[in-house]
Formats: sequence, structure tokens, C-alpha cells
Amino acid sequence: MDKLFYLIIEGIKNTWRHKVTAFTAIFSLSILLYIIGLISIAEKNSFKVLQYLRSKYKIEVFFSEDLTNEEAIGVIHKIKKINGVKNATLIDKEDATRIFKDQFGESIIDLLGYNPLPTSSVVNVERNIRQPLRIEPIIEEIKSLSYVEEINYQGNLIKKIEGIYKKIVEYIPYFLGIVIFIIGLIIYNMIKVSIYSRSETIQSLQLIGATKLFIKLPFIFESMLISIISVSLVSTALILTSVGANYFISNFTVYNIHLNVDLYLFFHLFILVIFISILASHRAVSIFLK
Amino acid sequence: MIEFQNVSYSHNKGYGVNNLNMLIKNGDFTFLIGPTGSGKTTLMRLLYFDLFPDSGIVKVNGYSSNKMGSRDVSKARINIGMVFQDYKLLSDRNLFENIALPLHVMGFTSNQITSRVDEAIELVGLEGKESHLPKELSGGEQQRASLARAFIKEPDIILADEPTGNLDPVASFELVRLLETINETGTTVLMASHNYNLIKGRGRPIFELKSGILRVR
Repeated sequence: MDKLFYLIIEGIKNTWRHKVTAFTAIFSLSILLYIIGLISIAEKNSFKVLQYLRSKYKIEVFFSEDLTNEEAIGVIHKIKKINGVKNATLIDKEDATRIFKDQFGESIIDLLGYNPLPTSSVVNVERNIRQPLRIEPIIEEIKSLSYVEEINYQGNLIKKIEGIYKKIVEYIPYFLGIVIFIIGLIIYNMIKVSIYSRSETIQSLQLIGATKLFIKLPFIFESMLISIISVSLVSTALILTSVGANYFISNFTVYNIHLNVDLYLFFHLFILVIFISILASHRAVSIFLK
Repeated sequence: MIEFQNVSYSHNKGYGVNNLNMLIKNGDFTFLIGPTGSGKTTLMRLLYFDLFPDSGIVKVNGYSSNKMGSRDVSKARINIGMVFQDYKLLSDRNLFENIALPLHVMGFTSNQITSRVDEAIELVGLEGKESHLPKELSGGEQQRASLARAFIKEPDIILADEPTGNLDPVASFELVRLLETINETGTTVLMASHNYNLIKGRGRPIFELKSGILRVR
């Protein structure tokens, strides 16, 4: 127990003894972890932003003149059953007249002497589908229904938004993988440089009969400490970033989006870095001790 | 006990030791002399299993070079104290921490370590310098610290490879005296040196190594 305690303390002391190396490692590690954190926050919140944007998608369906209200209700029921549709609201001729008056201040019947506005429906798409939404099949199904005469929707805009989301979902794991690989290399090289700069220490320890484990453990504890400090700094920086971003969004933009930072993110960062640091320091010291 | 049986070792550049036979009994104080490049350090490295012979067998304290795994090397070294010309103290640790190091390796408690290090520091006359870093000590003081680190674990054997190489005559004489004091406790000592004047007339066996060949002087 005394031996283990000594080795832990040695790991901590080594960090202090080699402050410049430790500071450089913490700095570079923190930058990379911060990038990982930002990507993760972006990935976690991209769906939330997408949900917000999907709530703004509007499909307007106009029906033919000969449609009765009962028939319109029947068509609305059919639209609601289409895969990807969240709900559909019926706007009959009277509702359309009222909306016209609200928007333009005058009654269209007073202007023209009759009501030319058709019965229509506003269709909202499902927001909670994780996969990118394909709007065309929904439009095609609506088009195939009886009494549907015209459909207005923001086809290109929706395609663009869903395309961007698709790219985020597809490429972020690869990007994260590359950043994690770089982190692994940085920790590995940091430890390697640290070991080479302390080759005499290792040699002296070997000469007095220290086992490989005894030599390795302080290096492992040292890299774990550096990782813990880096993760703590990055966690604080990520919380501050999300608070700042939320303040900016709510005060300077019209969007009603609140970014969340998942506490599991910090836990995952911690596990990731500890795992890499143990593996890298073990490997780097092992190569040197051979 | 230290025993060499027909030991040969050749470095890549050709030099080394050739067909050495040597026996040093427990408790002996033996000198090894020879000019620079004669193979003294090679012989020492064979003794603490930093090198393994190309042929022949090195036996130290029951460990035999032909039957050793990598784990046995650290076990064998626990019972061997080593002193080097360049001290090999850890530059980032103070005197106390340097001397205490072998005891940490052996798993002593902090109380035991404190009392044993204090005793060792007193024996080598470095009281009051516990918190000094090696660079804050003179060459003689560093070598005494190195010696304290070697014997604090109460090894069966102390190997001193040119321990006086960087010391002035007075410090060199003091160091040999210290080694003799340690030897009086029953520890086997083998000291390599190229300074014949320092070791002659001490009534100790002297092995002479010349171009890798050993003879008794």
C-alpha cells in the first residue's frame, strides 16, 4: 500500500518537476478535447436545431372548387396517415376569407363580390425522425389524393437543410475518430518525449532493481493527472461556451433554440482520455524498457 | 558469492572480456584494476546482468546468467548495490529522495525509510543536506550519496565502477575508507579502478584486467 501510495505521489511530483512539459501537454490536449467537445455538442444539438427548423417547414395543399367540407375532412384524414406527416389542418373557404382579411385588412368578398379562395390544408411534417426527412415521397402521396389541385412547399430549402443534417450525421463520427486518433498520438508522443528526457532516471531505477511496473506506474499516473487536469479545464470551457452561445441566441437572434451540454459528454471525455493515456504511457515505457 | 566460469563477452566494436575465471567469496573486499578500455566496466555490467556473456556463466548470489528471465534481473539487483563514476543520482530529486529510492522499490514503510535514510546520511557525513539537489552537492558529496543509496538496502554485494574517477585524492581516499567500513559489516565489495596508487598496500586481493584478460596481481 505504501509502495502504491509512493508511486501515485511520484506521478504527481513528476508532473510538477517537469512543469513545462506538463503545461505543453495540458495545453495541446485541452485544445483537442475542446474541439471534440464542440463537435459533440454540435452533433447532440444539431437534431434539436433540425427539429426547430422542421417545425417551420410548411406544405400548403389546395383543393379543387367542387370539394365539400365533409370530403375535405376525409382527405385531411388520409394526409395525416401519410408516413412523415405529423398533422394537417383544414382551412375551409370561410377560414381563408378570415385569414385574407387579417393579412390585408379588407374582405375579399367585398372586393370581388364572391369568394375565390379555395379550401386548403397546412401540413406539418414529423419532427422527431432521426434520419434525414425526404419530402418528395410525402408530396407525391399528397398529389395522388383526389381533389388535390396544387401543393406549395419550400422544396429546395428543405432539401438543403436535410442534406446538411445528413452530412453532419454521416461525417461527424469519422471526424471525431480522426481527432481522437490525433489525441492518442499526441499523448503517446508527449509521454515518449518525457521518457526520453528522463532516460537516466529510468536507467537508475533499473539499476537499483526496480521492476518494470514500478518504473511504469509513475508515468501512467502522471499522464492520468495531465488528462484529468485537461478534462476539467475543457469541461469548464465547454460549459462557459454553451452558456455564452445560449445567451447570444436568446438575446441577439430570433431563433428559439437552447443548446444543452450533456453531462455524459464530460464523463465520456474523461474515460476516453484516461484510456488513451494509460494505453499510450504503458506502450511508450514498455518500448523504452525493452 | 561471485563466480565467473570461462566468461567471454564481445561488444560490437570488438572489445570486451575473454575467457574470464574469477571467484570472490562472501565478505571479501576485492579490487579490480586495469587501464581505460581494458574491460572493467564490461565485467561489472556482466555482474549486475546488464550484459549476458556470449559464452561461460556468471554467478552472483545464487543467480546464474544462463538461467535468468527478465524478472530475475530486477530481483538479483535488489541484492546488489552499485556505485558509478558518474554517480547516477536522479537530478530532479533531492538527496533524501535519492537515497530513499531503493527502499521504496523494496516496499518499506515511510517510517522505516525515514529512519534508515537518516542513518545512511549520518554514516556518509551528509547531515543537513537532505533537501539539496545533486547539482547543489560537490562531486565527493554526490559520490557519498551514491554510496549511501547503494548500501541503504543492505545488499550482499556492492559493485563500485571507477567510483573515484571524478574525485580528488582526499575524497577518493575517504570513499575507499567508507567502502571498507561497509565491508566490515560483511558486505562483499568489488571496486574497479585504474588508480593503482589508491588501492595498493591495503592488503586486499587485486585482479588486474588487461585487454579483456584477467590475472591475479
